[in-house]
Amino acid sequence: MIASVLDGIVLGLQFGLLAAGLTLVYGLGGVLNLAYGQMAVISAMATLFAINAEVPILPAVGIGLAVGVVLGLIFDQTILRPIYRLQGEARVLLSLLLTLGVAFIVDGYLTWRYPTEGLTLRIGGGPIEILGVPMRRGSIVASAITLVALGALFAFFRGTTLGRAVRSVIEDEEGARLVGIDPQRMLRIILALSGLLAALVAVTQSMVRPVTVSAGFGITVFALIVTVVGGLGSVTGAMLAGIILGIVSSIAASSIGTFLSLIILLGAAAVTILIRPSGLLGVRE
Amino acid sequence: MTERFTEATGTALIGGTEERASRSLRALSLPVALIGAVLALAPLWLGDSRVQMGVAVIGLTFACYAIGFNLIFGSTGQLFLCVGALAGLGGYGGAILADTVGLPIIVSIVVATLVASLVGGLLSWIAVRRSLGVIFTGIITLIFALAFENLLLGLGGVSGGESGFPISSGADSFLRRQIPPYYVMLGLMLVFLLAHGLLRRSHVGWAFRALRDDEVAAELAGVDVARYRVYAALIGAAMLGMAGATYAFTEGRISPTTFGFAQVDVVVLVMLAFGGIGTLFGPILGAITFTALDEVLIELGQLRVLVYGILVIVLFLWIPRGVIPTLQGLLRRRRAS
Repeated sequence: MIASVLDGIVLGLQFGLLAAGLTLVYGLGGVLNLAYGQMAVISAMATLFAINAEVPILPAVGIGLAVGVVLGLIFDQTILRPIYRLQGEARVLLSLLLTLGVAFIVDGYLTWRYPTEGLTLRIGGGPIEILGVPMRRGSIVASAITLVALGALFAFFRGTTLGRAVRSVIEDEEGARLVGIDPQRMLRIILALSGLLAALVAVTQSMVRPVTVSAGFGITVFALIVTVVGGLGSVTGAMLAGIILGIVSSIAASSIGTFLSLIILLGAAAVTILIRPSGLLGVRE
Repeated sequence: MTERFTEATGTALIGGTEERASRSLRALSLPVALIGAVLALAPLWLGDSRVQMGVAVIGLTFACYAIGFNLIFGSTGQLFLCVGALAGLGGYGGAILADTVGLPIIVSIVVATLVASLVGGLLSWIAVRRSLGVIFTGIITLIFALAFENLLLGLGGVSGGESGFPISSGADSFLRRQIPPYYVMLGLMLVFLLAHGLLRRSHVGWAFRALRDDEVAAELAGVDVARYRVYAALIGAAMLGMAGATYAFTEGRISPTTFGFAQVDVVVLVMLAFGGIGTLFGPILGAITFTALDEVLIELGQLRVLVYGILVIVLFLWIPRGVIPTLQGLLRRRRAS
């Protein structure tokens, strides 16, 4: 039981980090980025190529993260331009369709050019014992990185002027504009941050299981479900939802079997959405 | 393009200024008969090749899917991302009823259609009761689609799992010969088209248009928005289930990817958006165009997906309402000047 809960937390932290990047862009810009998983895959591929070119592992990961940031900025400058001109539901719909197009382009090119590639980061050393349960070293390192990243994210939003400015735009865009905050600039920063988070997810996931070229769509769908369960626009909600869904799916996997665990996870997500359509910590609009 | 969007507050992509529903029966039956006649001649030059006839049948099946999805999403703004799952409910339901239970094929199709219809209606009822918006309806139905796909993979004993379900019922009937399946699917598509056309002319169609253009105003004018949404889902899901079941019996083997999200839902959405969401003939134009395009681009292999990505982006930036409404707009402007 303790083992499944710990496994669930490892999985849940990944879910949470995954959803954070998506939920921020939605909360701030009303944009649902369906190419989010593809951003993670491109970063993973960049890291892989760097490693293949015999770059040491840490700089290679650095290159992957930098690629993520650049991707976020490119998104902001290109495909999202026409979306910004719209408002409300039309904006969400168009963003959904245009980023779906981007996801196709990336998926089509990558699976055509590199059909079998995948990034796996092997963390050496034996298992570490936590609460009497032996855990894989890769999972521990991935979770540690995720926790540090989330800590940094919270420190950024609570402690810095820039982070507070971003939060003010999420809460009330018009009000933020009135006190001199440029929402467009905040959006650019958040897209860069979202790209960074996508890259980070790719790196930490590759420590637990390989990130293949075709993984993008699955990543996006999971991020979307966790995001909605947590409440669109809420990073804390995304974390909470990630950990709850992670524990649910891991307990179900150990006691019933893997294939039903995914269905139970989906069912849990559906029930949460139906009971609280605004999500666990979402704000009712 | 931008002003077209800003003037409407809600779902501007779902053709706000769509053609007026024509009132005369002839205006409906003439184009339907024309489409039927043209498509009925297609086997004359495709009929020699088994492969091409197979592709044509798939194209017609997707046209049926697109009509059903159009009725749900285009008419009442419910983003059902479980088109493949509802069709699969029909396909697998029909196959299991005919092969495992041993019912006649036609009875299996009817029962499977009813099941798909009820599930679609239930999903819509849940979404309406919880007053979920477009995006949340999309997520809930997407979750249903993913769960269905995983059930198929997991319950291998019933569904055949990943390797698929070979259907032995009707194996030596006309349904498996080279040409007849094409006419069966064509007939189904024309029936769906007529049904949709008649529905639009009836009071139900007026209610659909009213609630799609302005939900609050429709409610105030006495339209029971919730009820008409569920109606649309019941009818649309029945179409999806029936098309899925019929296709399953003509194909003889179905697998989870036959009805997968990436293989059905995404394609249907693109087809419909190309033709024109909410229009009568948009689904058919989209299905034919993309089936033909897929054949032209077949040598590109995986790179086809890239081409579709570019197409989707160009399409939504240039003609966000789809081909048919854009052409109608051009015609009207020319007539006015």
